[in-house]
This record gives sequence, C-alpha cells and structure tokens, in this order.
Amino acid sequence: MSVDTTAPVTGGQVTEDTVLAEISGMLRVLLDEYGLDDVEITMDTRFHEDLELESIDLVSLSADLKERYGDEVNFAEFIAGFELEEIIAMTVGQLVDHVVVSLREAARG
Amino acid sequence: MTKILAGDLDTHVQRLPPTVPVDGEAPVVVFIHGLLTDSLASYYFTLGPAFAAAGVDVVMYDLRGHGKSDRPATGYQLERFVADLVALLDAMEITRPVHLVGNSFGGSIAFGLAAAHPDRVATVIAIEAEPPVRAWTVRMAEGLDLAKSQLTQDAVIDWIAVNNGRHTARLSRAAGRLLQVTSMLEDIPVSDTISDDLSAIRCPVLAIFGADSGLSRQVPYFESYLSSCRTVVLPDQGHSVLIERTDETRDAILGWVRDHALGRVG
Repeated sequence: MSVDTTAPVTGGQVTEDTVLAEISGMLRVLLDEYGLDDVEITMDTRFHEDLELESIDLVSLSADLKERYGDEVNFAEFIAGFELEEIIAMTVGQLVDHVVVSLREAARG
Repeated sequence: MTKILAGDLDTHVQRLPPTVPVDGEAPVVVFIHGLLTDSLASYYFTLGPAFAAAGVDVVMYDLRGHGKSDRPATGYQLERFVADLVALLDAMEITRPVHLVGNSFGGSIAFGLAAAHPDRVATVIAIEAEPPVRAWTVRMAEGLDLAKSQLTQDAVIDWIAVNNGRHTARLSRAAGRLLQVTSMLEDIPVSDTISDDLSAIRCPVLAIFGADSGLSRQVPYFESYLSSCRTVVLPDQGHSVLIERTDETRDAILGWVRDHALGRVG
C-alpha cells in the first residue's frame, strides 16, 4: 500500500481509513527492521501481542507521528495517562482514534 | 527516529524541549536508563513528558547495546558508557552542567561521569543505584553471571512468561541474547572504580530507594560520605521504583531540580 505522506493533513480530510493507512505505513517501516514486512494491520491489531513491538518501538512510532502530524498529536502525553500494562495491550485502533480526534479538534481550532 | 553520532556510536536520542516559557536557560536533565532489559522508553513513558511540561530541557538516550542505539560486540566497561555520554553532550553542544537522572546501572554511570568530569554535572539523581566502587564490580559480576545462566534457558523464559507475562519474558530473552552476543558480562566487572570514600563525587546527590530493595542499605553510607546528599526511601517498595512509584519519583526529582536550577523552573 502506498500512502502519500507529503500531503497536508487537515481536519476535513481526516478519516479513520486514511489515518489507519498512514499509521500502518509507519508500522511497516518499523517491522521491516525485524524482517516482518507483510503483516496485516487492522484497527484490532495489538502492538505488543500481534506485532511483537516493544516499548522502544513505540518511542520510534511516536517520533514518526510527530513528524507527520506535528504538535497536534502528542502520543507521549496520550499514553502518559496509561499504566504500563495498558500501553502493552494497546491496539492500533486506539491510536488511530486518538489521532483522528486530535486532528479534528485542531481543525475546529 | 533521531540518531546522533556520539564519538563512534550511533546513538538513539529523544529530546523534549520545555513546553512552557522559562526565565533564562532551561535546566538540562539527562535521563540514563538501566542495564539489559531497559531502554529510554522507561523514561519516555514516565518522567520525560512531565519534565518538559515543567520547563525542563529533557534528554533521553539509549545506552550502547540497548534500545535502538548501536550494539558493538565489545567495550562495555563503565568508563565507556561515561565517555559515550560526554560525546553525546558534546555532539548536542550542551556545555553547561546538566542534572543526571540515573536508574539502577544508569545511576552508576551518572556517578562515574560526576567523578570523571565534575565540570559537566550540576547534580546527580540516583534511583536505586550504587556508585561504581570496588564492591559494586563484585556484585555486578555475580548478578550478570546469574542473568546469563538463567535468561538463556528456555525453561526459565517460559516460567517468566507464566508468572510475569509475555512482555517481560520477551525482554528477558532479549537480555539473555545481549549477554551472549556482547562482552558485557566480562567488561562491566573490570570497570574503572572510584574510591570507597566517595570523595570523587563533589556535586549534590539526590538518592531515591525502595525500602525493600537491598540497595536502601546504602543510606547511612551515602549520608556519611557524600558532601551534599538528600535521601528518599519509599516504603513497601522494591527495585522497580521508577515504574511502580512514578508520581513520587517525579515530584521528588522536580523539586530537587527546582532547588538546584540556575534558571527558574515552572
């Protein structure tokens, strides 16, 4: 799947599908380091249990999110409210929802 | 991902600038994680964002062999970790004295840097940590030997998975691998040490312990020998102070940095 990550992000265009596609792209780059580049990623995919990502991978993902979406999406702050077990059990869908809500709120200004 | 070439080591760094206005220069706090199963993620998901929100310039990095930094096969004596951090500060052009927060082995690195380069260090904040004295090298040798013999056995990893969860099991297996593919086990016990009288540590030290961890026995030793020391002992707490008592640890360190900052912190 190819995603145009250079396109500007605005509130009007933000849908669950586009954000899931973009985040899947970021995850594929991360997974490629481990030789896992063809895993199916859905809203229910769990970062740790399904993708075998460690907390340090979530740090990288957080940096990718910041690069893509700017300060509107603060992943570190989002998960600062979670217990470690909750971070480990987090799904891709939870992150997608957070990004969609953050971008829509930012667009509403 | 942010990689900085520090000396000859490609180092994974996450820097969080202060998110609130600061009078004068923001204090720089460098967070140093622990050995084997640890990475900068332990700070990124605990103290890091709160410190940036309090007006601190936050630097977190992965130690050599850990997280997403380079993993050379050899060169794991404490002084190499100390030199890495000096090279990183140089590469980031941070020349004024910094506050070093070190968890466990990370605290030993902080003490090592304070002893070797007192001009680079404002204060040391040691969480469940020992200074690199001779007795420390003996305990590290014993601990690392045990870790290597245990964490490279499938039966032990399976037991950890059942009792501590798959995440911890996976980290433990990775730790066992780290001890197999590097000379860490051989190198750390032959690290340079500092004198038992701790006279090499001249900066103020905040030491935080869990009451139930064996390390809290050092409190009288620190208080007698360190020239400027504050100790905090958290009751009913073992070694995992940072993860299990994050809020108290954050408040104690932020208060300490405020008290010792040249600029005012919000």
